[in-house]
Amino acid sequence: MKMVRAIVRPEKENDVVLALEAKGFPAMTKTHVFGRGRQKGLKVGPIHYDELPKVMLMIVAEDPEVPVIIEVIKNSAYVGYEGDGKIFVSPVTESYTIRTGEKV
Amino acid sequence: MLVEITAIIRRDKVAPTMRGLDAMGLGAMTITTVSGRGRQGGNVMTDLDREIPAEYDSVSKITRNLTPASFALVHSLTRPVFWIPKRMLQIVVSSGMKDEVVDMIMSVNRTGWMGDGKIFISPIEDSLRIRTGERGLESV
Repeated sequence: MKMVRAIVRPEKENDVVLALEAKGFPAMTKTHVFGRGRQKGLKVGPIHYDELPKVMLMIVAEDPEVPVIIEVIKNSAYVGYEGDGKIFVSPVTESYTIRTGEKV
Repeated sequence: MLVEITAIIRRDKVAPTMRGLDAMGLGAMTITTVSGRGRQGGNVMTDLDREIPAEYDSVSKITRNLTPASFALVHSLTRPVFWIPKRMLQIVVSSGMKDEVVDMIMSVNRTGWMGDGKIFISPIEDSLRIRTGERGLESV
């Protein structure tokens, strides 16, 4: 089992969520985060923004589903400019549903 | 060996969960305000006079792979709620305490209704207390 964490543009959040839902991944957790990338933020005229608002989506899925999720996010969050975001995949060893106590 | 327990729970269950963890001698945790949607893809606010038709469940699954919230939006039935406010607790413990903590979180948070949340366990390779530089088990 893996946790996929995608940090995407806030304006692309809806596109990504709808694309994932259409592929059968409706369950996820969302946090509003601030970050900066390799460009150390954004410079508009004399003003330097080093904390840019992003949306982090966290999805836990079985290993074979991970490439599908990554492909969906890659296509739906793509704009083509710096700041499109990152996808991180980390291991999850166990997962429980609290309502039923069921272990996956 | 350290593991991280990530519990995504109801907002009103944070205090009882914290009391339970305190009783086990685990005071340290990180709490994040998150929004979540489960397998149902959110929720639907039902008005008493405008009930969702009984067939929405089967129809949405067969025809468009829609979740209840999306179905409600498409058919302008009721107000869909796509994101439900939740709290995420992250606790790093030694792997020996893992089962005990998971059982406690489950018993405190279980109401039996959808939306009780999830618990994820993931491995932590190393941990470091910044103030003293202690590593591993002593640092949590």
